[in-house]
Amino acid sequence: MGAIGYAWLFILNNRNMIMSTREYTIEVSFPSVLGYEKVARDAVASFALRCGFDASRLEDLKTALGEACINAIEHGNQRHADLYVMVCCVYNAQQLTIEVCDHGVKPYSGERPMADITSKVCGQTSCRGMGLLLISQLVDEYGFVQKTNGGNCLRLSFHQLRRDEVLSPCSTSA
Amino acid sequence: MTGSDGVAGSDDRMIELRLPSRLGYEKVAMDMAASLARRMGFGADRIEALRTALAEAVTNAIEHGNAHDAEMKVTVLLTPRPDELIVSVADQGRRPLETSQTELQPQIDQTIARGEAGGWGIWLMKELMDEVEFSSVPNGGNRVRMVIYLEQP
Repeated sequence: MGAIGYAWLFILNNRNMIMSTREYTIEVSFPSVLGYEKVARDAVASFALRCGFDASRLEDLKTALGEACINAIEHGNQRHADLYVMVCCVYNAQQLTIEVCDHGVKPYSGERPMADITSKVCGQTSCRGMGLLLISQLVDEYGFVQKTNGGNCLRLSFHQLRRDEVLSPCSTSA
Repeated sequence: MTGSDGVAGSDDRMIELRLPSRLGYEKVAMDMAASLARRMGFGADRIEALRTALAEAVTNAIEHGNAHDAEMKVTVLLTPRPDELIVSVADQGRRPLETSQTELQPQIDQTIARGEAGGWGIWLMKELMDEVEFSSVPNGGNRVRMVIYLEQP
């Protein structure tokens, strides 16, 4: 499937019937300058809003995406303003998948353990480096994916609850 | 651009947004442009003007240039500069834009008499933005380039 645009997906449903659904994407790219990630974040939030995500999930999305973009600017592209960060969003089957890709000037090593909030609060480790920890708490799935161009690409997924899955504040457990 | 958010116009850094040619997606472009303009220091009324002009440009690209073919893309480029924001909207030109269409001066009484609601997009863009120019993209397609000036307080 191409990174941009839509594709026809063929889904075999539980009646063994072939049905098709369209998958639409938007793509944003911006220079590796801090501040631009907010504009990209607002574009993606606008897209997610129109996909039907509620306000609380939008805030999760904006925070996680902001962190991912800042990582791409600061680490992956080493703040080279002429290198761009690419954000590709795909909404399909009640799932929004966002890929944040950089040029991999500094490849993600993946070796460091996840930041520990306790050690940071206690001042035992730097207050920086919370991005991936935040992302891990705010998204439904995340992970780095391999790209042929060698850059870093972080994929974030947000699931959308169906209406019948949303807990009512007045509901009681069976 | 050196606004408080670090988003500042220098060396023609661009933000690019690519959208499918499907009505409704113009709102994503509007929100993105408004976000940038706000961070550049544009006032609320100018941001509304920008949103309206961009909505018209993207809608034209979807409906006319790309003829509602969702496989074709609309590309929105935002170039912030210290004293202006340049907005470029390009389609893939299934239907080329005639020069005569860019020079139409719709008359509201005639439009009402005909019972038509459309045909105001280009006129609106020209009224709301400080510069508007139409051109063809070299590899096929139409492009509208609009500029809105940032008036310093």
